[in-house]
Amino acid sequence: MALNQRLCGSPLHAIDRRGFLGTAVAGAAAFAADMTQLNVLQHPVLAGELKKQQKRCILLWLAGGASQLETWDPKPGAPTGGPFRAIPTSVPGIHISELMPQMAKRMKHTCIIRSLNTRNGDHGGAAQLMMRGRRDEPNLKYPDLGAVLARELGRRDSQVPDYVSFYFATEGRGMSPGTAGFLGSRYAPMEMYTSMVPENIRRLDGINDLDHKQRAELRDLLSKQFADGRASSSLGSHNEAYQRVRGLMASEKLFDAAQEPQKIRDRYGPTLFGEQVMVARRLIEAGVPFVRVGRAWWDSHGENFETHQELVPELDHVMSALLDDLQERGLLDHTLVITLSEFGRTPQINPSLGRDHFATAWSATLSGCGVKGGSVYGKTDAKGQHVVEGEIGAAQLFATIYRALGINHQKNYYVGSRPVPLTEPGTKPIKAVLA
Amino acid sequence: MRFIRLIPSLVAILCGPSLVRANELLPRNLPLEQVIDHYVEERLKEEGIEPAPPAGDANFTRRLTLDLAGRIPTLEETQTFVASAKADKRIALVERLMNAPGFVRHQATEFDTMLMSGTRGSVRGYLLEALAQNRPWDLVYRDLMLPDENDPKRKAANEFLRQRVRDLDKLTAEVSSIFFGVNISCARCHDHPLVADWKQDHFFGMKSFFSRTYESGGKLAERETGLVKFKTTKGVERQARLMFLTGKVIETDTLKESPGSDTKKGKKTNAKSTPPPAPPKFSARAELVKLSLEPGQRDFFARSIVNRIWHRFFGYGLVMPLDQMHSENAPSHPELLDWLARDLVEHQYDVRRLIRGLVLSRAYARESRWDKGEAPRAAVFAVARVRPLTPMQLAMSLRLAVTDPQTLSASLKSEEFDKRLQALESSAGGLARRFDQPGDDFQVGVSEALLFSNGSEIEKDLLADGGDRLLGRLKQLKNREVAIDLAVRTILCRPSSDSERQLLADYLKQRADRPAEALRQMIWALLTSAEFRFNY
Amino acid sequence: MKVIKDISIPSIAFALARVPGSNRLLFGGSDFKVYDLDLSASKPEPKALGEHQSYVTGLAVSGKTAVSGGYDGRLIWWDLEARKQIRTIEAHTKWIRKVAISPDGKVVASTGDDMVCRLWDAADGKLLHQLRGHAEKTPHHYPSMLFVCEFSPDGRFVATADKVGHIAIWDTASGKQVKTLEAPGMYTWDPVQRKHSIGGIRSLAFSPDGKYLACGGIGKISNIDHLDGKARIEIFDWQKGEKIHEHADNKFKGLVEHLAFHPKGDWLLGGGGANDGFFLFFDLKSKKAIRQEKAAMHVRSFVLDEKAETLYAAGHGRIQIVDLKS
Repeated sequence: MALNQRLCGSPLHAIDRRGFLGTAVAGAAAFAADMTQLNVLQHPVLAGELKKQQKRCILLWLAGGASQLETWDPKPGAPTGGPFRAIPTSVPGIHISELMPQMAKRMKHTCIIRSLNTRNGDHGGAAQLMMRGRRDEPNLKYPDLGAVLARELGRRDSQVPDYVSFYFATEGRGMSPGTAGFLGSRYAPMEMYTSMVPENIRRLDGINDLDHKQRAELRDLLSKQFADGRASSSLGSHNEAYQRVRGLMASEKLFDAAQEPQKIRDRYGPTLFGEQVMVARRLIEAGVPFVRVGRAWWDSHGENFETHQELVPELDHVMSALLDDLQERGLLDHTLVITLSEFGRTPQINPSLGRDHFATAWSATLSGCGVKGGSVYGKTDAKGQHVVEGEIGAAQLFATIYRALGINHQKNYYVGSRPVPLTEPGTKPIKAVLA
Repeated sequence: MRFIRLIPSLVAILCGPSLVRANELLPRNLPLEQVIDHYVEERLKEEGIEPAPPAGDANFTRRLTLDLAGRIPTLEETQTFVASAKADKRIALVERLMNAPGFVRHQATEFDTMLMSGTRGSVRGYLLEALAQNRPWDLVYRDLMLPDENDPKRKAANEFLRQRVRDLDKLTAEVSSIFFGVNISCARCHDHPLVADWKQDHFFGMKSFFSRTYESGGKLAERETGLVKFKTTKGVERQARLMFLTGKVIETDTLKESPGSDTKKGKKTNAKSTPPPAPPKFSARAELVKLSLEPGQRDFFARSIVNRIWHRFFGYGLVMPLDQMHSENAPSHPELLDWLARDLVEHQYDVRRLIRGLVLSRAYARESRWDKGEAPRAAVFAVARVRPLTPMQLAMSLRLAVTDPQTLSASLKSEEFDKRLQALESSAGGLARRFDQPGDDFQVGVSEALLFSNGSEIEKDLLADGGDRLLGRLKQLKNREVAIDLAVRTILCRPSSDSERQLLADYLKQRADRPAEALRQMIWALLTSAEFRFNY
Repeated sequence: MKVIKDISIPSIAFALARVPGSNRLLFGGSDFKVYDLDLSASKPEPKALGEHQSYVTGLAVSGKTAVSGGYDGRLIWWDLEARKQIRTIEAHTKWIRKVAISPDGKVVASTGDDMVCRLWDAADGKLLHQLRGHAEKTPHHYPSMLFVCEFSPDGRFVATADKVGHIAIWDTASGKQVKTLEAPGMYTWDPVQRKHSIGGIRSLAFSPDGKYLACGGIGKISNIDHLDGKARIEIFDWQKGEKIHEHADNKFKGLVEHLAFHPKGDWLLGGGGANDGFFLFFDLKSKKAIRQEKAAMHVRSFVLDEKAETLYAAGHGRIQIVDLKS
């Protein structure tokens, strides 16, 4: 059959048949690229396989630095422990802060990583590091997690966005904008800063829908002639971008929380964060590979306990609603939910009853796709001042995330002729965390 | 044939890039464009490739105007050129464009991008002045590396260093990349894994020239002494010397640690009132500038700027990537690069001269269409490359394209014409910020398509009606075909084809009840077409 | 204001009480323990009486009994002579913020973040009333906090105040709400930069004649990551329901953690802090701050002796005794 020939003919896309139908990692991107040649609708079995295999990711970005001591790694009774106690969870032996009773009931989905030591306590630099898994070099701007996943998990002709990022607070917004780095604009995020309606997604009043559509078709036809005899991937990307417009406009509905039944909306609660996480679920359900919901601003230099008493229950509630929702829809196995900040907070309590920046021993969590739920990786000492077991940095965290999503963390991108692996050579994912 | 070709490359690999193969090169007194075409066509012949034919007049006008003036040509500029029967009309066009004030403005934008992208600063103000005087490139380099903060004309050049002074690794890497075509940042941590030329010694050698530079009280300063230490991969601590990329070392007794070093990152000393620290008696940076321009050392400098400017006009460098100019990455046309570098040096680093030579060559003027199957690889320059417009080119061209061509007619005095262009340029600045600077293999993001499809600034501003607008003019025309052709000529800078006229006429006919709307939509489709978006 | 003594203590003390007519202080704080401190000793050293299971935030004394409250939601009765626990009550489902005892020593009031103030029989710990009226959630849908309760000098009323600046006054005997007051200036919700809130009324004090009710906290803050707002006191003629004055301090920033009137009403003293500490003396007649002094630490709590000549202040790692006469 011509299938094999078309897909395997090019030396660039060396996938074997088993790789095509199975969960082979290396073929994933080539896979997506070749969809333009293969008419998926003619092969329903393959379409089903595709849907099942398409992995997605939601990042709950706790901007400003959430305190690990008031969330995932409590030290009640330690002089650095603060007033909140620890509660047992549904997994024997695992305790989390009493501020998270709902997550405590659902620990089976989540792996807590308590041993991050990332050595950067500056908002800007640390945010860059934790969004990319590495620091930029002078001559090389790396793509962040969203851009990489947009490329690895997205589809060229996708009718939904590839990478959506919500960050409505103004604090810290400039420190961790989404960036596609050397991958280029194609993988840049759809940044949502002030409105739940993406920028420029609505047809303007001055033109009716038919004209809008036909105007675009006119553009396509005029452009077609130009492309003849001019092979250029830049040129191709221009037409592709326009071909996605109508589909993206239709995806506006995905951003509309009112489309969800009230019962579901109530589950996520009345806050902005809850609504945005619910919309994130809508987006990934429709095939958006990566959504980041930024919840700013956790930087409690003063009144740390009051701030966490306010924000942690919200996180608890919203994250629980999300995991339940994903599970009920059969999506949790293919969706990785991450909680992450740029760093944690000091065990030391300052005179304003605050905690300051701390990157030496802090926590992140991974839930769902590809991870061993109901587990803890790594350990900090009694006061939470140092990691005593399983110390990792951003690189290993990212390697683990990529592997959990079925992506080869040593896969190379090419910048000019320079191979750039997704993570630094020699980086190993945390086997104990992976399912 | 192939084997003989290999010998110079082997020689190059063995002896490094600084070997002058004078006896291999064409003689000095030939025009640049002749030399370019000689070497390019020699290679094409060797490989049995028939290059694409020359681009048509309209195509050529558009390409040249975009490259020299940063905009599409006006309707009349194109028509005049196409209609002219003069044999030397291409040369005349080049000269006209290079002598117009718009040339300096556009080159200043392009060089500013080359020098400052990735920083938050700009040296465009300085460049406008320098390029207007056709300041030799080596002096521009000197102005940027050793800014004289007391000279009001040169002061603005200090942004180059100021934007990077807080991160000396960045400064080292970017100077090496921009001015010497060399990315040595890998060599910071280990000898370069792929390139034998670059060892840690080279990185830290280069860094030693910069390590004494700091900022104090908002002013740039440099210490007299300094010592960079580093650890090899085997954990051995070494002391770096002032070593240039060629391996040449500057012997000095200033290699010692400075007392009272205040290079703490981010530590801002406050006073604007404090006078700038006195320049050191021994300036490592000045030594670098001097050394890098010396005979036997200046090949990096000369070849890098030649390669970068070539890359800008051809869309592909003689060495690719631009910052991988080392012995294991041979240029596609080694003699050509050598000849152009030598020519540049011997003509006081005159970049205007270089640019003029490039755009007068046949290699530059080819068609961008290749109808004979798969196109040959870019490095043989058989066919012109399709290049995305830069943000300012795009914004300015959009503004021009929606302007009634009668307001920019050839009857205008050149000062008036330039004044109108400047007005369009300043209103284009805001729109330009919406677009990304394209790199190699630029991928257009969907946000750009959404911006054009649904953005109110496009609707309200670019597609607005008005006395000086193309739309206004089109509305007055009774003949639909005439209107269509005028639109295509104004926006796409060429006559419309029959099929296009048919297509557009049908579109307009279907909207006979809302003719103004229909015209706006037609303009939109032309502005957003791939053809408009690219320089071809 | 002269510091007479500076005593080092092992924790951040949130709650401080003085056994009337004695040199004995009780305090509790971040190490979960309730301590006893005999100031008449040459080298006063805190002695632990016992402990809670989390931060001790409330302490009140009546006669020979003390009652403490903590983040463990418990109230513990202590026999001060025997130095023993009398009883422990699971008093609140969330963190206790304050404990007060009526002037006649008969009623204990406790507030917690379950947003209820409970009145207890001081003698036997029986629950007398549950004062409900503070909203559990802030107007922005986040859990609120009920920071403080205080009795009126005649004990007939108890006032409670919360995070959003809502004050309620209750009849002690019946448990019925008799008045509400609003001091929204004490609550900062940042909808733009950080999307959470900070502040709250942290202290209350009735004037000696019972007519006025003062509340203390922090004013509007632009950067809610820090206590970067003016120290704030508002004073109400509470029976009329009228605010008679707002004081936003021009010298000090931070929370007013505790308020106390001079027994004759000559002045109102507020103590608190941010990264540093302060004392503010406020005159009701002239409606002005008459004295603003830097304190050596963020003052978490303080008590005055009967004549208001000596002040005992507690905070991070120390207790200070200050002579007010000077």
